[in-house]
Amino acid sequence: MMQQVKKFNVYERERDRRLLFTKNLTPGKSFFAEMLLKDRGAEYRAWDVSRSKLGAGIKKGASQIGIKEGDAVLYLGASHGFTPSYVSDMVGRDGFVFCLDFAPRVVRDLVFVCEERENMAPILADANQPESYKELVPAEVDVVFQDVAQKNQLGIFLKNCDSYLKTGGFGLLALKARSVDVTKKPREIFERVRKELEKHPGMTVVDYRDLYPFEKDHALFICKKK
Amino acid sequence: MADYSSLRKKNLLLAKRLVRESVNPDLFIINAVNNAEELQRVQNNLAKRLREWYSLYFPELDKKIQDHEEYITHVLKGDKHKLLKEWKVDECMGSELDKKELEGIRHLAESIRGLYEEEKRLVEYLEKTMKAYSPNLNTLAGAVIGAKLLRGAGSLRKLAMMRSSTIQLIGAEKALFRHIKTGAKPPKYGHLLQHPLVQRAKKDDRGRMARALADKIFVAVRIDYFKGEYKGDELLKEVEVKLR
Ligand SMILES: C[S@@+](CC[C@H](N)C(=O)[O-])C[C@H]1O[C@@H](n2cnc3c(N)ncnc32)[C@H](O)[C@@H]1O
Repeated sequence: MMQQVKKFNVYERERDRRLLFTKNLTPGKSFFAEMLLKDRGAEYRAWDVSRSKLGAGIKKGASQIGIKEGDAVLYLGASHGFTPSYVSDMVGRDGFVFCLDFAPRVVRDLVFVCEERENMAPILADANQPESYKELVPAEVDVVFQDVAQKNQLGIFLKNCDSYLKTGGFGLLALKARSVDVTKKPREIFERVRKELEKHPGMTVVDYRDLYPFEKDHALFICKKK
Repeated sequence: MADYSSLRKKNLLLAKRLVRESVNPDLFIINAVNNAEELQRVQNNLAKRLREWYSLYFPELDKKIQDHEEYITHVLKGDKHKLLKEWKVDECMGSELDKKELEGIRHLAESIRGLYEEEKRLVEYLEKTMKAYSPNLNTLAGAVIGAKLLRGAGSLRKLAMMRSSTIQLIGAEKALFRHIKTGAKPPKYGHLLQHPLVQRAKKDDRGRMARALADKIFVAVRIDYFKGEYKGDELLKEVEVKLR
């Protein structure tokens, strides 16, 4: 039986340790060979959290993820659209996900997903240059989500939150320790990033989850803009 | 909630256009070299299958011919009894197979031969493309290694931005990472190990040779990227003299 996870638009079943579920906005369609299943009249898409840092963060007990029905989300590092498609289920018909990636090869796949889902749009742009896509995204969004696995991912994240995140909105940062510095211990890097996030004017860290064992040396930071 | 449907339409159109415009010669080269590697992998696997299968009929041939292509040529010649004499096999361990059985084996051998032909065509294509797109790199590294370097960097532009010490290690990323993480011995070469000049150098000299080659490739790639004059032959000579 499906059970809602906290107040999130995400569900789970007791027996699936690596799976979450979202209500499928596009019944009958699956995009990444994920399983579809019916429960009391609704169709759900299975979500393999070992392929998704957001999913892993939820499984690891994040107290808040900041993504609600009707939210506009700016998703940086959307890749083929795997996690973005679940965010699209979570925000529902009245919400929207702006999916940005700078690699043409993955945007090619992303376009096909966005064409099938009316609350998603693809953007081929460099997240390091927020001003370059100001005509392509709304002036303010409710959530900025970032998963770019880049050396300066913290800088990119803060720039985008400064430019596009509304006051009271949530910023989610999936951090890959190895991309920041291969020589340092992940734990040290997480601690340092946490301090830098707290130091940034207007930002507070609401929660932070180490994603082990779903992802090694990764963490998900959940921040709020005051 | 605002209505984003017109913004969505605009973004879909723009993204499609940008994807279309991103297609370039780097991608032709990267696809070709990936395909060449894949063909080699498939050839190898299928050749092993063929050897297993044909050995029901003529097991001795497997040991006598190591080279897959040559093995296939012999399988396709057909008549085992001639081959037995040719290879001086007195007591063949293989069973006699009837026509129907041999037919299946023959088809497989023909398919694999086709894959070798396909690979040759692909390498010819790579040579032509590399020569036109990056002539200096092509001369110094050869089409296939040159293409692998380009793939490792992501594009000719990115390759032209790399230092020669980085170029030297393209293709050795795993060993490099192991070195950083565990302090294991640092690698001396990646794809350049396959280069004839490095292969011909004495074992102890290979690192030095790869280094000299990388230095000149560095120059070659910059000339190619900035569309300078062709200097490939000169550069190659400057590396060749180091062989002695
Ligand atoms: C780890 S993948 C994201 C996976 C995705 N979030 C998911 O869970 O399905 C990282 C992506 O970030 C993209 N990326 C890296 N740097 C970027 C940048 N500066 N701007 C835009 N995208 C970037 C890469 O092209 C890659 O597709």
